[in-house]
Amino acid sequence: MDNTIPRRIYDFLKDFPPFNLLDKEVLLLLCERVLVQYRRPEEVVFQQGDAPGSHIYVVREGAVQLLREVNGETILVEQCDEGDLFGLRPLLADDHYALTARVSEESLLYAINVEGFREVVENNPRIAFYLASNYAAGIGKRYNGYKPSLFLEKDKLIDSNFPLLEVQSLEKSKDPVTCLPNTPIREAAAIMTGRQVGSIIVVDEKLAPAGIVTDKDFRTKVATGLVSLDKPVTAIMSSPVITVVPDITVADVQIQMVKHRINHLCITEDGTTDSKVIGVLSEHDLMVLQGNNPAILVREVRRCYNAESLRQVRERSESLLKEYIYQEVSIAFISTVMSEVNDEIIKRVIVLSEKEMEQEGHEKPEAGFCWLALGSEGREEQLLRTDQDNALLFDNVSDEAYESTKAYYLKLAGKVTYLLNQVGFEYCPGDMMASNPSWCLSLQEWKKQFSEWIFEPSPQAVRFCTIFFDYRPIYGDTVLAEQLTAHIFDSIQDQTVFLAFLGKDALQNPPPLTFFRNFVVENSGEHKDEFDIKSRAMMPLADAARVLILNARVGKINNTFRRFEKLAELEPHNQELFEQAADAYEILMRYRALQGLKNHNSGRYFAPSELAKMERINLRNCFQPIKELQALLTTRFQLSFLG
Amino acid sequence: MIFDFFKNKNRAKPGDPEFWKGYLASFEHDYRKNTPIRELRFVVFDTETTGLDVRKDHILSLGAVSVNNWQIDLSDSLECYVRQAYQANGESVEVHGILPNGRKETVDEGYAIRRFISYCQNAVLVGHHVNFDVAMVNKVLKGLTGRKLLNKQVDTAVLARRLAGDSQVYKQGTFGLDSLCQQYHIPMSDRHTAAGDAYITAILLLKLLARLEKRGVRTLGQLFR
Repeated sequence: MDNTIPRRIYDFLKDFPPFNLLDKEVLLLLCERVLVQYRRPEEVVFQQGDAPGSHIYVVREGAVQLLREVNGETILVEQCDEGDLFGLRPLLADDHYALTARVSEESLLYAINVEGFREVVENNPRIAFYLASNYAAGIGKRYNGYKPSLFLEKDKLIDSNFPLLEVQSLEKSKDPVTCLPNTPIREAAAIMTGRQVGSIIVVDEKLAPAGIVTDKDFRTKVATGLVSLDKPVTAIMSSPVITVVPDITVADVQIQMVKHRINHLCITEDGTTDSKVIGVLSEHDLMVLQGNNPAILVREVRRCYNAESLRQVRERSESLLKEYIYQEVSIAFISTVMSEVNDEIIKRVIVLSEKEMEQEGHEKPEAGFCWLALGSEGREEQLLRTDQDNALLFDNVSDEAYESTKAYYLKLAGKVTYLLNQVGFEYCPGDMMASNPSWCLSLQEWKKQFSEWIFEPSPQAVRFCTIFFDYRPIYGDTVLAEQLTAHIFDSIQDQTVFLAFLGKDALQNPPPLTFFRNFVVENSGEHKDEFDIKSRAMMPLADAARVLILNARVGKINNTFRRFEKLAELEPHNQELFEQAADAYEILMRYRALQGLKNHNSGRYFAPSELAKMERINLRNCFQPIKELQALLTTRFQLSFLG
Repeated sequence: MIFDFFKNKNRAKPGDPEFWKGYLASFEHDYRKNTPIRELRFVVFDTETTGLDVRKDHILSLGAVSVNNWQIDLSDSLECYVRQAYQANGESVEVHGILPNGRKETVDEGYAIRRFISYCQNAVLVGHHVNFDVAMVNKVLKGLTGRKLLNKQVDTAVLARRLAGDSQVYKQGTFGLDSLCQQYHIPMSDRHTAAGDAYITAILLLKLLARLEKRGVRTLGQLFR
């Protein structure tokens, strides 16, 4: 028999999990036995407590609500729309339905026979895993290292080969450093130093290249005493220069360099030594071009002398981020790399600012300081540039020296935050920055401040804590930060009230119920157009991780998913939940980065309509562990009594 | 009364082919006027033909699905591609063959109709502009048995018109399958295969029946007014 109609069903199902994991023949076979059901509004597909039926369901058209009745009250648990799978109970356990499925709009359902599908599940561990993890309990167990490919189709993967040297990449070297043949070596060296380059092209009067002098020539010919400093550069230059055309490919550049065993190529107008020099390509440039190598980016940062060049490096690191995200590199790795780059930028900015202070004649105080990153950068979770949150901690000083010390550090912090802003890290709207006198304090003052927060908790204090507790020393005297941390852990000893406050704060923003079509469905049933991934999914997880790790008296782990991993280790009975939470956090981070890269913003707000069906499912599955964690916090800190 | 008349007239005769005897037997326990719509078995079908002239044109393919209890059971469906017999004698030979280009498995026209008859039994036949498809089937059936289909027939175009209001004047094409699919949000991915159209028509039938139900149409008798 031909199978035009099952084919139709197949064409629909094949795009949705878990059916996208099935072989075509197997899925087609299932489709041949599908019941296409017409359902009217208010119709009940199955009732909570019913014996398991013989089918599982996929919504083809319309909408179905899953409801749970508790103590005579009906709670909306899930709202299924096109492509959603529900009623899996008969497949997973020989148990009664735990929910009621009620049709809320005229619907067409595909009812798939459990017999037949059960075999498919048994023979296909990926499907079993998918179903068990996504429908039985939230995000699910880690399964032999397999994780479903989350968001991306293969065609979205970026080709990581950099095929052509782009014109804009060449811009940088378009202003080549040159000198005339009669220039003394001493002068050439001064020019190179001034321009911070490793080579200089010796040109004739037509500006065509006659030769090249590199750092190496100074090392081997001048420093060894072979050639006097007063001789013209022609005495040490290499000639002829290897020239290339402007639109050369990276591959050709590499070949030329290897072939001639040189590190510099000269770009001329027509690619010969007879035309005008328009640029120089060094091996270093080449690495930068290909480059999206984190080590190179970090090294690049150290070569930057102003905000603009730092901004460019940060932007390059963002294209690296894009590549990583699209290639589904682990979030743990990505966040380590991005934090490394961010840290390096902050350090560089501080160094530059300190220099500026010196140039302006401000005397460096005796008391040392430590620069602290707060918030997401403190947690090493900042993938995209978001607001800067930072603080400054300086060593205790005598009363006489206090004024001038604080003034110096405030001024320094002002320069740092200004520069960071130039690099693209927006000012913190809540002014949680080291340039704010309240957050530029001596060790003694910081200790007092934390004690106040801990011993006299208030909602306001807790809000500060959620930011300041994730501090991480970036630059300066890290011993100061360690002393502060020790003080905090001493203080929270037996301070269960404080932890309860933190716990309560972590419950402030429960995740929404679900996504339905183009809406966010709140637990109240209200529909909203926009999803705030930060406050509705990421912060609840970060907050829960913080209070639990503080409760466990574990310091030095700032990263949310690493905190969960540690907690899983500490509490084996909650291992599964903590692992799910860690996974969920990684998924959310990845998702936020994706949205941010797509929309050129922080990725925090987006409309569910921007998401593909499958993306909505994956994101929605992150809500479950959050809800479970919040329940755990409520019990652990007895928050229901806190009012 | 008219049902009884059918029953007597259509008793099997000696010499009738087996498939026909079975078909006739299915009408012995036929639906009653008060049979609820949910209990009816509808066979929604469509034919793809060489043209629109019943006398001259032939069936190329036939597709059918059954609707019962508000659902379409895909394991109970039929899809036949008719081998175009060019030999002059016109003898019906049960041959399963593959077209030279190897595309579809085809069967003899008579075989296709016999399968269709056995598949339908006493179901209510449904089609979009069903008269044409019934006439195409009857033409072949006449050659096989000398008789015509006995099933009650429902035209989805007529049902749609009934819902829209019979007395009004409508633009041409208003009740065409394409525009109805649009109106009722039915995706038309593979229109113009017989099975694809039969499936689309079945979905349309379900949506029309649900709307008629709201107007009190709950039984066979009410469906045929």
